Amino acid sequence: MNELSRRSFLELSAKLCAAMGLGAGMIPQLAAAAEELAAGNAPVLWLQGQSCSGCSISLLDAESIRPVKLLTSYINLSFHQTLSTATGEVAVATVNKIIAAGGYILITEGAVPAGMPKACSFGGELYGDQLVRAAKGAKAIIAIGSCAAFGGIPAAENNPTGAVSVPQYLKDKGIATPTILTPGCPCHPDWLLGTVTYALKVGIPPLDSMGRPKAFYGRLIHDQCPRFADYERERFAKTFGEDGCLFKLGCLGPITHTDCSVRPWNGGVNSCIRAGAPCIGCGGEQFAAKADVPFITKKRAAEKTDKPA
Amino acid sequence: MSKTIELSPVTRIEGHLAIKVEVEDGKVAKAYVAGEMFRGFEKILRGRDPLDAQHVTQRICGVCPVEHGTASVLAQEMAYNLTPPPNGFLARYLLQAANFLMSHITHFYILSGPDFVDVAKIADYSGSDPALVALRNWVKSQINSRSVVPGGPFLPRYAAQYLQDADANYTILRHYLEAIEMRTLAHRMGAIFAGKLPHAATLVPGGITEKMTELKISEYRSGLDTLRDFVEQCYLPDVVAVAKAFPDYFTVGRGCGNYLSYGVFPLTAGNATKLLPAGVLLEGKFQPLNPDAIAEEVGCSLYSSGSGLKPYDGETVAAPDKVNAYSWLKAPRYNGKVMEVGPLARVMVGCQDGQNAALKSAVDGLLKDIGREAGDLNSVLGRHAARALECKFIIDQCDQWLDQATPDEPTFTDFSVPETGRGCGLTEAARGALGHWLEIKDSKISNYQCVVPTTWNCSPRDDRGVPGTVEQALVGLPIADPQNPIEAARVVRSFDPCLACAVH
Repeated sequence: MNELSRRSFLELSAKLCAAMGLGAGMIPQLAAAAEELAAGNAPVLWLQGQSCSGCSISLLDAESIRPVKLLTSYINLSFHQTLSTATGEVAVATVNKIIAAGGYILITEGAVPAGMPKACSFGGELYGDQLVRAAKGAKAIIAIGSCAAFGGIPAAENNPTGAVSVPQYLKDKGIATPTILTPGCPCHPDWLLGTVTYALKVGIPPLDSMGRPKAFYGRLIHDQCPRFADYERERFAKTFGEDGCLFKLGCLGPITHTDCSVRPWNGGVNSCIRAGAPCIGCGGEQFAAKADVPFITKKRAAEKTDKPA
Repeated sequence: MSKTIELSPVTRIEGHLAIKVEVEDGKVAKAYVAGEMFRGFEKILRGRDPLDAQHVTQRICGVCPVEHGTASVLAQEMAYNLTPPPNGFLARYLLQAANFLMSHITHFYILSGPDFVDVAKIADYSGSDPALVALRNWVKSQINSRSVVPGGPFLPRYAAQYLQDADANYTILRHYLEAIEMRTLAHRMGAIFAGKLPHAATLVPGGITEKMTELKISEYRSGLDTLRDFVEQCYLPDVVAVAKAFPDYFTVGRGCGNYLSYGVFPLTAGNATKLLPAGVLLEGKFQPLNPDAIAEEVGCSLYSSGSGLKPYDGETVAAPDKVNAYSWLKAPRYNGKVMEVGPLARVMVGCQDGQNAALKSAVDGLLKDIGREAGDLNSVLGRHAARALECKFIIDQCDQWLDQATPDEPTFTDFSVPETGRGCGLTEAARGALGHWLEIKDSKISNYQCVVPTTWNCSPRDDRGVPGTVEQALVGLPIADPQNPIEAARVVRSFDPCLACAVH
């Protein structure tokens, strides 16, 4: 544990405020946040709704901060359904204790079955009710993954559960806790780690109009695409496994805002487009939404289409 | 007098699972296993482009997406009458194998490990291993902190008898930390061919979009060598250590005794002979697999659609208020019989005469090391042992595939989607037999049904009231302390349930 004194936290906070152009009034607040963080006391409550746990699995793959380091030095992951030793009544009691104490960061994975509330429950409580309870006591919410952020596949056209995103559900319930979206299917571990550490250390990071941290979602995949030169030269792959720009195979890089092109996955070993797979826009707000918009296609390659503007 | 105990939620599994047991005279008399989360993938898939299927179905589960993607492209390849080139097959096997290894290592150490290992013992550690010293210091600082949940997520837990031997605890805790690195490495190896994991980007009918290069082969092999060392020097010995420390768990958690495997990992590209063969063990007798014998019943499931339908004709109409139904899982049956699927089923089927002789001799060897007999395999520890042993065989098979791959040869065969067609994709996920059934009309998906490993294992009662295999495995289990029913948790977790998969 860091043996920093209260004074050194204040000094650190003053420097941070100056660096970020914030007023002196922020100093005590930042000092408290930094102290909490160093003591490993900044609690994180992680809840799962209509999710596949893929964002949790992705976090375990994080290489910028390895999971054990994350849990012992950066955050106090008070409860997580896939990792917590607590089971059954012990798990329910733990979650309730965290909610009662308040002041935590709530990370939510998965959509909310607004149209069929019984489609998801935890320890005998409907997930929608649990989410409302937990959201009320949270300092901030991070909706991780495209299901929590935008509804994702559970909310795709023809879904039977009336699934909605976490911000939509909370808005409908009149809850105004600040909510940050870190979409992606799954969320890249760096997107979450960069966001949660910033939120704990400094506060809400700069967000775009949809609530996504600009640092990770500020640019189009297409603009930094490793196949951009192929696109410029109109060298299009006509089927899978071919070299060239993947636009005619349905690539959604031109409309998807994530930094996958410069932040490859799994320790930097690969990324979708690098591996010849068209971007399916998994971090975008329209991911999977419409049944008649295919993820990938062979039809466009057969048609004579000009390159996109 | 009977007492009802609920384990709701069961954590350290994938997804939303609730267990209810009725205890009489200190033993479980009745058990109910309920899946508690439904999304309706089969509804969502209808009307979509068939090429969406491998992307959509991977999102059923973030732990075993590769296997869903694999089942989906196999179903499409049957419908399109399409065969990938050898490199396409091999890249997919290597990807699926990497996901198996990630899943099994995660399961033993991160999901099940805390049921056996005494995490709190680390506070007394006096050795010099840097990772354990750091963990000890953190635990001590946590205990003295103002934290709402000191030591979370590793505490609190059930008060129970954990591993007594201090050194064995330290060893397995050290390996727990190592296991996190190993599972990450396995995923990284998969991403060499997947683009990213979880949710592989590259899977397509006809093969894979990624190339097969010498660098990729070497990169994968380098990771494989590290995993082999871990499995042989840590995972297998740790399973033996836990098995010796908890001998009772060779006598509890006995499932239905019927086993089903669709078979997985062809020895060479497209080969019908598989490392882990397909087959059925019904009441102790081996039969070849007949996919036509599979049907799903919904008498106790929260659906109003027809019961006993075969997968091609399957329907999924949710009925959240259905009376006398208690789970979002359907109840799959094979010729009307309850089946267990998973590593134990694969090992049981593989050990039959004429299947995989090397596997049989390895199983016999491991049992001899622990001092048990073949009859003890149908148990909590039998499942853990089967999982670990399987890892060793899969790693050796990966080496073979890497030798068979030809750098720079194609990984993809082109195709066109037909207006009508149907196909089924049968494979194995880490957790057991996985099947996708696809029907295409007007070049769109007209029906899609998934019958998933945990749907078999965690199935509720069927139309005749016969409990599923996990429900059967809980019956007769002694529970010492109703406030801390760790015995039930150990039995359930030995099946490695994945509820997002099971309900989908």
